[in-house]
Amino acid sequence: MGMPLSGTDDTRPAVLAAGGEVSRGALAQRARMLAAAVDAHPARRWALVCDDAGWFAAGLLALASRRRTMVLPQAPQAGSLAAAGIEVDAVLTDRPGDFAGYATLAARENELLADDCQPQDDAKIEFYTSGSSGAPKCVPKTYAQLRREVEALERQWGAALGTAAVAGTVPHYHLYGLLFRVLWPLYAGRPIHAALCQQPADLRAVAIKTPFILVSSPAFLSRAGLDELPSASRVAGLFSSGAPLPDDTARALKRDWGRAAVEVYGSTETGGVAWRAWTDAESRPWWQPIGGTEVDLREEEAGPRLWVRSGCTWEEDWMPTGDLARTSTDGRFALLGRADDVLKFEDKRVSLSEMRGRLLQHTWVADARLLLLPGKRALIGAVVVLKPDGRAALDASGKLAMNESLRAWLRQSYEALLLPRKWRFPETLPDNAMGKTEQARLLALFGGDEA
Amino acid sequence: MKELIEELKQLIIDSLDLEDVTPADIDAQAPLFAGGLGLDSIDALELGVAVQKRYHVKLDANSADTRQHFHSVENLAKFIASQRPA
Repeated sequence: MGMPLSGTDDTRPAVLAAGGEVSRGALAQRARMLAAAVDAHPARRWALVCDDAGWFAAGLLALASRRRTMVLPQAPQAGSLAAAGIEVDAVLTDRPGDFAGYATLAARENELLADDCQPQDDAKIEFYTSGSSGAPKCVPKTYAQLRREVEALERQWGAALGTAAVAGTVPHYHLYGLLFRVLWPLYAGRPIHAALCQQPADLRAVAIKTPFILVSSPAFLSRAGLDELPSASRVAGLFSSGAPLPDDTARALKRDWGRAAVEVYGSTETGGVAWRAWTDAESRPWWQPIGGTEVDLREEEAGPRLWVRSGCTWEEDWMPTGDLARTSTDGRFALLGRADDVLKFEDKRVSLSEMRGRLLQHTWVADARLLLLPGKRALIGAVVVLKPDGRAALDASGKLAMNESLRAWLRQSYEALLLPRKWRFPETLPDNAMGKTEQARLLALFGGDEA
Repeated sequence: MKELIEELKQLIIDSLDLEDVTPADIDAQAPLFAGGLGLDSIDALELGVAVQKRYHVKLDANSADTRQHFHSVENLAKFIASQRPA
């Protein structure tokens, strides 16, 4: 693979947007325009917030070509930058109106062209992940790590995917979306559907235009009805990452819809580590390391923790994952669950002990327990013992109002998706009844009809 | 229309498994996703699926219209009413 978008006279489509096609030449020109604007700007640290994947691609190439540090906020809102304490000199964005109070560079409003726009291997990109605690965690990477990962992906699957376009249900501000929806297609010459597809109907509309590669996640695939998805014959490839697909979802996709999901296991820190595909719809496949990734097991109290090393890992050395695993003799592995109290919840990581810590900082809260509640949609339940002030507020304003105040408190640190949705306010935590674990006693609080 | 609004409130509560929320707690004109209900992106997906299943309406892909339809219960009711055979 060469550099992305080398020629400016290339008329093949690079981006498919609501407004029409953008050729590879035109996208290269956009990148050079942004490079000229970045040259003229004093800012060194840039947040890159373009919801249109085409403009995002141009901004990424421009910033990487000028070795400016690129910050990709976890949620692309001005408020989330401030809330996470992320400092930037300026924001390169396709919606400058949303970033009042920041120096902005409007993606669409530049005219000067720089002579070149070649991304530099040592350019820095900062990802922010949901980490395990409430505070977003910064994971710095270099452009070279991303480029190597894209090369590994193309070696693994390129031939099978041909020149199909790429559409995704995952945002491109996280590593998985950025690689699969933006950088990989850019390098491999596959057109990018610019808009995020949030509903199955969005995918049907994409399918009418072109056969496409679907970049998705368990959160989407486990909910979208198979009859609402476009015909599998229009889907040249299906990728899923963020968490393992539930077995029955993976089986149904293969058996009833007609396309096996290729799942990618990894994290922002490690990059893509391994893959598996449900090709026979029956037996759960093993994970197979991608490209040059090495895996190792290291015994801990909780069990054997999976460690990985590749040219794409954050520190380019052996790194621990959050998962317990066992390996087969041929180098493949199976995951056995989390190594710590961090849950994978709707494809995000969250530590219940950290979240409990946040709750305890609220002036009304005397003690609290958090737990995962089973159900159609797994939810986090909160059991909170209130201080006298809090109890008075509960009596005065009611339970819904109390739920909402505590949710609003946690909302300062956590995405809406991760907040507890069911609340219990007992006078005391359930006491040591005979033979029941605390977990079971807490679960019982959510069992009946009591509100 | 009033009936449809009440029906939609109940659909939201049931399909999203909202606890402690009654139809009276949902303001038909308030934003569904930015406001007090605090619905998230998974809720948006599930609500979209539930509405299409129950009312057999077709939602346009990614359009500003779709976002507008899901802005509030009232907007959603108007949209569904407009899709029903006359």
